Amino acid sequence: MLTDVPVLPDYPYTLETLDNGLRVVVSEDHLAPVAAVNVWYDVGSRHETPGRTGFAHLFEHLMFQGSTHVARNDHFGLISAAGGTLNGTTWCDRTNYYETVPAHHVETALWLEADRMGGLLDALDQQNLDNQREVVKNEKRQTRDNQPYGSWLDLVHTHAWPEGHPYQHSTIGSMADLDAASLEDARGFYSTWYGPDNAVLSVVGDVDTEATLAAVRRYFGGIPAKGQYPPSPPSDLPALIGQEIRRTVPDRVPVPRIFVAYRCPPFGTPEFDALELAAIVLGGGRGCRLYKSLVLDRGLLQAPDGDVTSTWPFVAGATVFIADLPAREGADVAELEAAYHEIAEGLADGVSEDEMERARAVHTSTWLHHLATVDGRADTFSQFTTLFGDPGLVNTLLPRQLAVTGADVAAVARDFLRPDNRVVLVFEPAGDPEDAEEVGE
Amino acid sequence: MTLIAERPEAGPPRPWSFPSFERREVAGGRVITCHLPGKPLAVLGLVADAGAVTEPRGKEGVAEIVVRALSEGAGDYDAYGFAVAGERLGATWRSHTDWDSLRCGFEVPVADLVGAAELLAVAVREPRLEEASLQRVLAERVDEIRLDQSQPGPRASSAFAAAVWSSECRYALPDGGTAETVAGLTPDDVRSFHGARLRPDAITLVIVGDLDAVDADAAARAVFEGWAGESTEATAAEPPKARAEGARVVVVDRPGSVQSVLYAGHDAPNRRTPDYVPMTTMALVLGGMFNSRLNYRLREDKGYSYGAFGGFDARRDAGIFVARSAVQTEVTAPALADAIAEIRTMQETGATADELEQARSYRAGVFPINFAGPGAVASGLSDLVVHGLPDDHYDRLRQDVLDVGLDAVNAAASKRLRPDDLVSVVVGDASAIVDELRATGLGPVEVLTDEA
Repeated sequence: MLTDVPVLPDYPYTLETLDNGLRVVVSEDHLAPVAAVNVWYDVGSRHETPGRTGFAHLFEHLMFQGSTHVARNDHFGLISAAGGTLNGTTWCDRTNYYETVPAHHVETALWLEADRMGGLLDALDQQNLDNQREVVKNEKRQTRDNQPYGSWLDLVHTHAWPEGHPYQHSTIGSMADLDAASLEDARGFYSTWYGPDNAVLSVVGDVDTEATLAAVRRYFGGIPAKGQYPPSPPSDLPALIGQEIRRTVPDRVPVPRIFVAYRCPPFGTPEFDALELAAIVLGGGRGCRLYKSLVLDRGLLQAPDGDVTSTWPFVAGATVFIADLPAREGADVAELEAAYHEIAEGLADGVSEDEMERARAVHTSTWLHHLATVDGRADTFSQFTTLFGDPGLVNTLLPRQLAVTGADVAAVARDFLRPDNRVVLVFEPAGDPEDAEEVGE
Repeated sequence: MTLIAERPEAGPPRPWSFPSFERREVAGGRVITCHLPGKPLAVLGLVADAGAVTEPRGKEGVAEIVVRALSEGAGDYDAYGFAVAGERLGATWRSHTDWDSLRCGFEVPVADLVGAAELLAVAVREPRLEEASLQRVLAERVDEIRLDQSQPGPRASSAFAAAVWSSECRYALPDGGTAETVAGLTPDDVRSFHGARLRPDAITLVIVGDLDAVDADAAARAVFEGWAGESTEATAAEPPKARAEGARVVVVDRPGSVQSVLYAGHDAPNRRTPDYVPMTTMALVLGGMFNSRLNYRLREDKGYSYGAFGGFDARRDAGIFVARSAVQTEVTAPALADAIAEIRTMQETGATADELEQARSYRAGVFPINFAGPGAVASGLSDLVVHGLPDDHYDRLRQDVLDVGLDAVNAAASKRLRPDDLVSVVVGDASAIVDELRATGLGPVEVLTDEA
């Protein structure tokens, strides 16, 4: 018997909204006896208040410290003992929590998620907060402060969005704000943002839809709706930065590295779809323009592990298109930057159908790879339901993006990849980081 | 508020076994095919007995250069042409070397499996290995290693290898070589290693995906048909030999560091050790799960770190045990002392029955999750080839894990952990940590200063 292998994604799903407002997506996949449970809360670092940057992420850590019926180490303990894996992440637009388990343990994961959705405050205490504050500060040290080029992410946030914009600070936040976070902040944050009517639950895998929905109603149905959430922080801003913002950053690094960030329309717009394809034509994979010219022909750019250019899927006001350009040892960094700009801006002059075909094929495989596992698919169902109210985008987003034409790509390149709309960060090797300071505009 | 107080009972476990596969010979080549229904992407890869341990002495890092050079121009394709040809099929090229193998191939939509196989064949059989492109690949790799070593984690890993292993054995250097060894390689070294090791008799082709509607044999023929030539026996490498200088501390000075990266460990048995299952299950309790002792102590109890881990890397010839973490500079000495105390306690008193039960059920339960897709299955099948393991290995391993008892696990703890031999490497700001490290009594402290 031939198996019907889809060329484009065609995943079944059911969306149900419980009486308390929790949106539930169930998608059956019986290829392996595993199931993924994924909860997105519609709160991220974008919703933080001044003086409390990093709080959404610190709070995520507290969600693993027990709840009404769950002891402090039991989230990890029970899921591990079930043979499952779990974690949580925070970014600007969301906080997500997820477990992948052998399918006969799916109710354990549902029960754990329900208990902390409804009953975190019973376990939240000063000791947990103080401990996890130190853990998070060490996470910041490990992933940012103690790494070469480690400040680039913060600098993109600071400069690509205007003062006061909710994306103007990064998710990890500042040490001072983490130090200032109090138990009262944590209680307030939970009471404000964590409720069934501000969350999406997705279950994907070797499950029965009706039985899963019944279990979800049983575990989550008794959690009251909050009914009201604060309005999203204002995110309107000019479409373009309006100037080039340039920063030179001396750092303890072996070679110069340039990051370029352009402000562009957010995820969900046709322009963003075109920019996703533009990122592949320009700097995705090895058959792209930048790889050919800067790596193969001119030896200016260090061959990257991943892609040279990419987009961030932010939805509020504006997002960014990023180029990551580590220089080859001994390369002239000014020459690298000039060559990069010429190629990036050259995209506006037109894109061939050959290039578009390659970009579409690369984009399709990347997307199929992302959706191939139950956990990747569960996260994507949660994402699209949270951000756009439409889980069906798991199947329809790709065809929509594959309809992007070369003319569309040239148009967004012309409109957004331009000198008066970019932040240029130039990291340069410096002897002692103590002497590092920002210079120039 | 109504929350359900009672934790749900698990349903009946559902049967799982490692996907069935076939070992075959096609056109004189060894082929493993595995049909995984319903997966839109397939994996087509080859695994070669051409890992770091087969490199000639003085040529450390050449295997990684060879696997990179395969996609830098082959047959009628130049580097750019090869990249575009694969990407137009939606095929993603992946390559990798480690101690015991060289691996490369494509992840590709199933419909284009044969097309990808033709490209793989050209890359591995007819790489151009031209002077200019090899010089560029070598120079890029040197830059990459320098970039890598500027990060504290990779720097700790290479310093740890040098501190544990005697300098004449291959394990004393990173599997990908160092900036110095790679800078010393010539294009002829690359051609010579390719000619000696990437021969059909040293290669197995692995094909995993929904193979119902595709001709896997045609893909295999594309790779092997008409390909002759035998591999040259690898120069007998020095057998691995630990320095065996007792417990000591090596500090790699990285001024201005706000954290110290800690590695503490020693040499360990190879993959064929008869107590492999008890040894590695014990390691899960010590440092292989979130609730393991190391992570609990350093992260959840003390807040010193974002995470702490420990375990064995059992290679074909020998292995290592290592515990590692990254901790705030101010607590470097107490954190290292805590980590070592956990290792010592495990060695002396072993795991508890509850800990073992959790480790067993985690390890056995996670098999279907770990082998969920073609990439993971292909990697598992390649591991069978590398270590000469039987077809029923994964199902047997899972059963062995379920069956392992506390006595065996604690015997492994007692024998395989050697707290008095622990070599500790600390990458951090020496001026802030050396005095305290000396005061811990964890052994003599040596300070290395890297060239800026």
